[in-house]
Amino acid sequence: MPNSTDAAVRARRLLALLPHLKRGESTPLADLAAAVGATTAEVAADLATLTLCGVPPFSPLDMVDLEIDGESVTVNMDPPGLDRQLKLSANEARALVAALDTAGYDDDSPLRRKLAEATTDTVPSDEIARTVRTGTAPGGIADLYAALAGAAAEHDKVSITYLTGTTGRMSERVVHPWALVNRLGAWYLVAFCEGVGEERVFRLDRIRAVAQTGERFTPPSNKRMSVTPSAERLPVAEVRFVPGATLPDGREWPGVSLEPADDGSVIARVPYQGVAWIARRVVARLGEAEAVSPPEVRDAVRTMAAAMLTDLR
Amino acid sequence: MADPVERRVNLALYLASCRTPVTAEQCRNAGLGYSEDQDEAAFLRMFERDKEFLRAAGIVIEVVRDDEAEAYRFDPTASYARPVELTDEERAALKVIAAALAADPGFPFGDDLAIALGKLTDAGQTGPLAAAELAAGGDDGQGLRARALAEAVHTRKSVTFGYTNQRGESKSHHVDPYGVFFREGVWYLIGQDRDLDARRTYAIERMRDLDVNPKRPRTPDFERPEDFDVRDHEKLPFQYGTGALAARIRFEPDVAWRADRLVRGHGTLAPLPDGSVVWDVEARDLVRLAQWIVAEGPAIHAVEPPALVEALRTGLREVVDRHA
Repeated sequence: MPNSTDAAVRARRLLALLPHLKRGESTPLADLAAAVGATTAEVAADLATLTLCGVPPFSPLDMVDLEIDGESVTVNMDPPGLDRQLKLSANEARALVAALDTAGYDDDSPLRRKLAEATTDTVPSDEIARTVRTGTAPGGIADLYAALAGAAAEHDKVSITYLTGTTGRMSERVVHPWALVNRLGAWYLVAFCEGVGEERVFRLDRIRAVAQTGERFTPPSNKRMSVTPSAERLPVAEVRFVPGATLPDGREWPGVSLEPADDGSVIARVPYQGVAWIARRVVARLGEAEAVSPPEVRDAVRTMAAAMLTDLR
Repeated sequence: MADPVERRVNLALYLASCRTPVTAEQCRNAGLGYSEDQDEAAFLRMFERDKEFLRAAGIVIEVVRDDEAEAYRFDPTASYARPVELTDEERAALKVIAAALAADPGFPFGDDLAIALGKLTDAGQTGPLAAAELAAGGDDGQGLRARALAEAVHTRKSVTFGYTNQRGESKSHHVDPYGVFFREGVWYLIGQDRDLDARRTYAIERMRDLDVNPKRPRTPDFERPEDFDVRDHEKLPFQYGTGALAARIRFEPDVAWRADRLVRGHGTLAPLPDGSVVWDVEARDLVRLAQWIVAEGPAIHAVEPPALVEALRTGLREVVDRHA
């Protein structure tokens, strides 16, 4: 027997499906599934349930009348009611606000204002914003986000101005935006970079600008959805943390493993993709951490810290 | 008795199709799926739950009372949404965000998000690929607990939970939840701790045995202060501690564009004639601020107070010495 939460979600999904069912139209199940965030199998089961629903006296003319044929559904009659979309309920509005928060859409963004107009009047206008916050997005990335999402949807190549965080160098790159991925609250663009001829991951808050190129790309069939490199192929740095230091976790240093030493210090082993990346993290510990190996990382840490020190004088 | 999903859809369709208000008894006898054998009290409880469900789905039910009975009428004006005109980019962004987060167990509102998307966009518009892993370490139940707490915030029900702090000390807490927020892989609860009689912030990943007060679910247990705003509690890493200090940070012209993104609404930004930007911000931990400057650099500089510059200098010297 399904639990009550599952049943409630499913019933709400059925109500959200009804306005998508237009008399005479044949719609792929996959499209309906994408529209309501369900699997094709779930939507097929939902539609089968809908054929059992209707209004009194429940004659054939009073029922939801549709036929599922393989991968699509054909609607024979408009549903006997609720053929227009309902306003967003309080919970749905909260979900949207929280989700849009992650991509930098603040209270005043045009998209948030449009969605507020589609929300039921029973929701106090500012209660959600004052009690739930996913605000991980840095300011000003909503426009970038929309531009990249639109380009990914249309398979448009774009030119991005990108700051490589570890080196501070800006670069112009023509990329094929494949996917947008959120890890621990930060959004990343997974894209093919024409300049290097390989796939690259770009952190959205380090993209300064996006411009259309007017060219299209063909998306690959097998897109990568992870933004953390496979640790197996990466070199490993050994970093010693002094006793009592705040230790890094997998959020800050992906793939890190920690091993206590006899003197109270802790040895961290962390896979790294670029020397500058790990060097900056060690320097940022301001003396709590020491790169033990390899020598190239140790040298990079010393050089970076010395340059910053010179800059301070 | 009909499946509860069918019964609720039938009730929604019935109310929407009736031109006049209908009573609970009429609904019961309309063949919607309510059992004829059910006793009156059990039916009325089920009917109440079904109406609550319809309201949660966005259906506005008007209650019409006269001397004899209460009747219910579907309010089409309050229930139906006008079509939302989205630009192509807005639609694509919505689809990407929803596709990523609705399937992520670390996002507490995935089911609601998926249904909301279904209300806002048309079928046949598949979006670009997207994925998310909001909560650190995949899902450790943070999303579920954050969902329950957000609901308790909304219904103003008090909660109890066991909590282990950063020092490894465990204790039970009884809290009036005011708000939830997320930062870098972790959901947090802010509320008034009844035992401590103080406002506190708790990392939801450190909670266990979370219970929302089940008694009188429709009656709030507390009033949230009118001026409470969860955004006031989102701090930067160097803003925790005692003793606030005024700090000034400078962004070089080449990275001045990053300032707005990095400050996340804290402090004030002012452009300088040379194209750089200065940021005046409150800090409570100057070492953490010095670490932040290095981590977010290059081309970001400590300006004031002198103790901040000194903390940075001391720390960098130590790094150089350790790697000599």
